[in-house]
Amino acid sequence: MSVALSDVVVGVFYATLSLSPLILFACMGEIIAEKSGVADLGIEGIMLMSAFVTFAIDILTRSPWLGILAGVSVGVVMGAFYGYLAIGVYLDQIASGLSLYLFGLGFSYVLFVVLSNKYAGTFPNFINIGTIYIPGLSALPILGRVLFQQNILVYVALALVPTTAYFLQRTRIGLQIRAVGENPRAADTMGINVKRVRFEAILIGTFLAALAGAYFEIGYLQTFQFDIIMGRGFVALVMVYFSNWNPYKALVAALGFEAVNATQTEIVSLAGPSLQLSSTLFNILPYVFVLALIPIMGRHARAPKYMLVPYKKS
Amino acid sequence: MRADSRGRTWLLYAAYYAAAIAIGIVVGLAVVAFAGGNVGLALSTLLTGPITTSAGIQQIFVRFIILCLIGLGVGLALKAGLWNIGGQGQMVIGMVMVFVVFTYMRSLASPLLFFLIIVAAALGGLAWIVVPVVLKTKVGANEIVVTLLLNIVASNFGLYMINGPIRGPQSFGYPITATLPANLRLPLTFAVPIVVAVGIALYLLVERTSFNLEANTVGESTVTARYAGVGVTKVITVTMLVAGALAGLAGAFLVMGYLYHLDAGQFSTNYGLLAIIVALLGRKSMLGITLASLLFAYVTIGVEEMAVVTGVQSSIEFAIEGIMLITVLFASYLIDRSKLR
Repeated sequence: MSVALSDVVVGVFYATLSLSPLILFACMGEIIAEKSGVADLGIEGIMLMSAFVTFAIDILTRSPWLGILAGVSVGVVMGAFYGYLAIGVYLDQIASGLSLYLFGLGFSYVLFVVLSNKYAGTFPNFINIGTIYIPGLSALPILGRVLFQQNILVYVALALVPTTAYFLQRTRIGLQIRAVGENPRAADTMGINVKRVRFEAILIGTFLAALAGAYFEIGYLQTFQFDIIMGRGFVALVMVYFSNWNPYKALVAALGFEAVNATQTEIVSLAGPSLQLSSTLFNILPYVFVLALIPIMGRHARAPKYMLVPYKKS
Repeated sequence: MRADSRGRTWLLYAAYYAAAIAIGIVVGLAVVAFAGGNVGLALSTLLTGPITTSAGIQQIFVRFIILCLIGLGVGLALKAGLWNIGGQGQMVIGMVMVFVVFTYMRSLASPLLFFLIIVAAALGGLAWIVVPVVLKTKVGANEIVVTLLLNIVASNFGLYMINGPIRGPQSFGYPITATLPANLRLPLTFAVPIVVAVGIALYLLVERTSFNLEANTVGESTVTARYAGVGVTKVITVTMLVAGALAGLAGAFLVMGYLYHLDAGQFSTNYGLLAIIVALLGRKSMLGITLASLLFAYVTIGVEEMAVVTGVQSSIEFAIEGIMLITVLFASYLIDRSKLR
């Protein structure tokens, strides 16, 4: 088999970048939410629902933008409900987060089958948002394909990393979010409405998680299946912890995960048939990569002090 | 506490949790109606379907075994403030271990092989939880995150194993194991009493000894526990390892009592999360969890049968279970609030 090495490298880097928004959007959202002291283990479920709704509205209205809008809206509604459970009535965050996952996992596919029956299995064409070709740069050899011919939301996801860092470090609401996560009592004394800030942080977090699901449809997959997010929402949760709640480190971790994943996919598809490689064994590699790094990365990880602790006045 | 008021407290719990389950069912029926299914048929199937056929009763027992064993472990870890989200992964490793032993040690005498399989499955589940335990106690890594990751690893590992090392001799290239011979099967009539006995044994060992207090102290605050001289690392290690072993055992019982073989479809369940619902429904008490497992087994099998007769996609089960997890949590919240007053 003669495959040019440069093609393989380009393929791996291209795949790494084009899948990365899925983790990145979710990761940045979760960092913001957890900084306020509220973790959302249900983002996988929110991503699934958002992905389905984006798909459905896209083919029903023939408008990808309406699809994204609808998908994100559903995600934010789920987020508001979760905010009520976790902040309003102090339900356990771990368990109520997981309930969103179970709900999203099951309900998104039930709805998909209803839609599928309506169209008797053959859907109208899915309208995606085209790839952006950055003038001049996209014609570069190798780099042009990897960096400058991606879906528009890939650039948005990458730009979101410094934006999140700036938002948390330099803006007033960002400061309030960190304050209610580190010491809600003191923040309350300073006149910050703890519950409201936490609720806003959850809304931002689930908005971004839903955007991740919408991107997966619009920019990547363009179809729907059961469990289509493939655990990427859970991986995002790991990345948040892994990066010590630092957006830049989360970017490195997310790209590292997707790079290992793209590499193993490429290896299996190129050499798999001749060397009898097992794709399922190789699928484990990115997760093993993450697990192996936890003792190193996790040693210095320090969660926001009041994460998972509900705030009750008096 | 007087016996009278205690009885009333339990009645109150029962009423709240019954309402929680009922709300989940109502939402499920609404989804059935939306999907164009027959709601009346759905409700009657859900309520009485499971006990009208012997296959249904068998399904309830199988589900009870899995939920109870994993749920007891989840509840035990929860006492110490730890979340074992990895019950699914530990169970999958237990299932795989059954066929690892069967494939490589088949020449042993069958009674020995029988017990070796059960022990290996429990040890497999235990080994799978060693990673989060070590990372938790040595590095301070969050056990939720690690057990979540290991679920994904376990199902992929399981797929690899049935595609290679433990693939059956007559699989014709399909990823499927051999079928367990009759002398390596565990009839449900034995498995169910064993599981109940495990629940009672844990009740006696944990809730009737000082270990309960130790675990609860660690669950409240590790700082306080250290100050009080409780071995925090010991409590974390013991509760989590027992949880892993129980989940592995659940895998063995599932294969030996019902499935008899493994294929790809059997790794995409969500029993680890259902066990969390059961542990919360049983209010972290070992006897409560045993009872809650039976109830929830009935409900979930009812939901599965409902999906079949109404033609709604079977994943509706997960949606309804998600809602029930919320309503059960909510009921617990209302109960705790009424107790404070």
